[in-house]
Amino acid sequence: MEKILAKNKLDDWVAALSDWQVSAPIMEDDIWSYKASKGKVQLEHSNTVQPPKGFSFPQREVFFSFEQIKGQPPRLTPIQPKAARHAVFGVRPCDGAGAVRMDTVFNDQFQDNYYQARRSNVAYVGLACNKPQGINCFCQSVGGSPVSSQGMDVLMTDLGDRYYVAAVTETGKALMTAGGKVFGEPSADDKKKLKQTHADALAQPQRAINNVDAVPAKLKASFDSPLWEELARACIGCGACTFLCPTCHCFDINDENTSSSPLRGNRVRTWDNCQFPDFTMHTSGHNPRENQGARLRQRVNHKFQYFHENFGMSQCTGCGRCITECSVGVDIVNVVNKVTEHVG
Amino acid sequence: MINLQDMRDTARNMLAKNEVRGVIGYRRSTNGMLAEPVVITKPEQADELIWDPTCFHNLSLYLVEDRKFLAHTRAKADLPIAIIAKGCDARSTVVLMQENYFERKDVYIIGVSCEGTGVLDERKLVKKGIRATNSAFDGDDFVFTTEQGEQRIPAREVMADRCLECRECFPKEHNIVLGEDKTGRQLDAPFTALKRFEELDPAARWEFWDHQFERCIRCFACRSVCPMCYCDECIVDSTSFPVTGQTTADEKANRVKWIERSATRAENMTYHMTRVLHLAGRCIDCNECERVCPVNIPLRLLNNKMEREAREQFGYEPGASIGGPSLTASFLDTDPGKFIR
Repeated sequence: MEKILAKNKLDDWVAALSDWQVSAPIMEDDIWSYKASKGKVQLEHSNTVQPPKGFSFPQREVFFSFEQIKGQPPRLTPIQPKAARHAVFGVRPCDGAGAVRMDTVFNDQFQDNYYQARRSNVAYVGLACNKPQGINCFCQSVGGSPVSSQGMDVLMTDLGDRYYVAAVTETGKALMTAGGKVFGEPSADDKKKLKQTHADALAQPQRAINNVDAVPAKLKASFDSPLWEELARACIGCGACTFLCPTCHCFDINDENTSSSPLRGNRVRTWDNCQFPDFTMHTSGHNPRENQGARLRQRVNHKFQYFHENFGMSQCTGCGRCITECSVGVDIVNVVNKVTEHVG
Repeated sequence: MINLQDMRDTARNMLAKNEVRGVIGYRRSTNGMLAEPVVITKPEQADELIWDPTCFHNLSLYLVEDRKFLAHTRAKADLPIAIIAKGCDARSTVVLMQENYFERKDVYIIGVSCEGTGVLDERKLVKKGIRATNSAFDGDDFVFTTEQGEQRIPAREVMADRCLECRECFPKEHNIVLGEDKTGRQLDAPFTALKRFEELDPAARWEFWDHQFERCIRCFACRSVCPMCYCDECIVDSTSFPVTGQTTADEKANRVKWIERSATRAENMTYHMTRVLHLAGRCIDCNECERVCPVNIPLRLLNNKMEREAREQFGYEPGASIGGPSLTASFLDTDPGKFIR
């Protein structure tokens, strides 16, 4: 299903999605973030600081609650997320690609019910990038494209005064069908313009990872490289890079007590972060990744080597957030290029 | 004006003469126009050093990192390490020495005066819609290289708030110093931003912080970048670092859990209150915490509040003296609060 939507009809489409919660990028506190749209959607954003991964993988997920009353067996109450159907507008192709990676991880061998309960209710209405969103975009180096519909339910392309709107999945078709008459049929001219816009988008210069096909093998050969420590010398060990990454998915599970007598509380999953020194801390006090160099290597190798080995694709989708938001200049493109150029 | 060549020559000579182990300074990053911290250890690396309005990082953090590295590897350092220090960086270095984190002889301070222009607030530049590939100091202006050519902007329009209010842009504590002493050239009165905020009524302020703490994602960039947050053990971490092979199971099990990992408003508030209280009398307003926050939480308001209390109640200026009494570990007869006598 392919349609044309005049830009001034976008809000009418959103209004027609009465069965859906709608979120879109909003500028608040001087940053772009996904917020409830309140009926108004304007797609004039550069990429959001936080990716949309939290819609299906929130930073905090309660698994179950527990209660222990003296003389009684412990009582566990499972908690399943009650997720309303949620349409997220303005998702950029790097983040759509991110959703594919997240789906892969949380459905591989074992299906994560908490993730899936949310994910199956989320629809991504993507927006192609006619121009790179920032100076650190490199989606084309990692198998992506600024006009990719990967992970999307609908892909929109800005054609000036109108959007070219293409359904990608059945959910996407349903979203568009709900809009009914707000859409028009694309003319031959619109189709021509779409082709040209996409071709122009693909020709925009981006940052690049050199010889990207050889990267997994080269990283494998560089595990003991002294460069890791050198490249991580300025790293402060915070979690900005991974918390803002559209594909980082590591988590921690803790019991959070809400009462000690009787014992009550929740078992909670929260995001965790391989850049924190305590991430790999053993109970013995031994830490196998004892310096920031080893932690940088883990982040980079997971994206560019381990994920390749496990799932046959790059985990990094080239959004550039970890570069832009790093306060001390740690730059994943530079790191991959530097480490791999030293291998024969 | 600071002559970059002087800075490079100083670093080169000291490394060549084996007077220091390394020089902590700034070099060009691969992320656009920004500078990044670097530790150079060879004389030929001196030409990597730069000095421009994006040198906002407080490098005294790397003195702490260096100390931790030495302790961890049980290495002994025979030579001091040199640091390029702005006025604020020098003040935090002084606090670290006041707290005996290292000794004066361990550090060689190459002071750089901000000469009253201070450093850039990148967000202010973005708000002006300027995408630059390079930046330079020039008198009272910053000069940016953009696609449209050179753009000259009065520094005060895009300068960091802390620099606008800076009382001491000249690094008083130094071994050598580059640039002129233009102290007293503050552009806004101290605590201007805080005063503006405090005009709100309590309910509005509560609502403001409610909103801000709700947004925190607990990436801990604010803690990690702070030179004063050097504890081996922090209440926000799930495991404590002093855990060793000798730590008993009981000790581990009985570790008090002050704060949950969940990034909920209440937990976030506990974290930020803890952070800022631990900075009372220690924070010298380099404002790195606010700069590195990916979601723009205005942490400086909290730090400034503590700073002003210390100043007004106890006449205390953090970072003023290495040997002087510290705010929280000293008592003077002139201190307010009669209840304690």
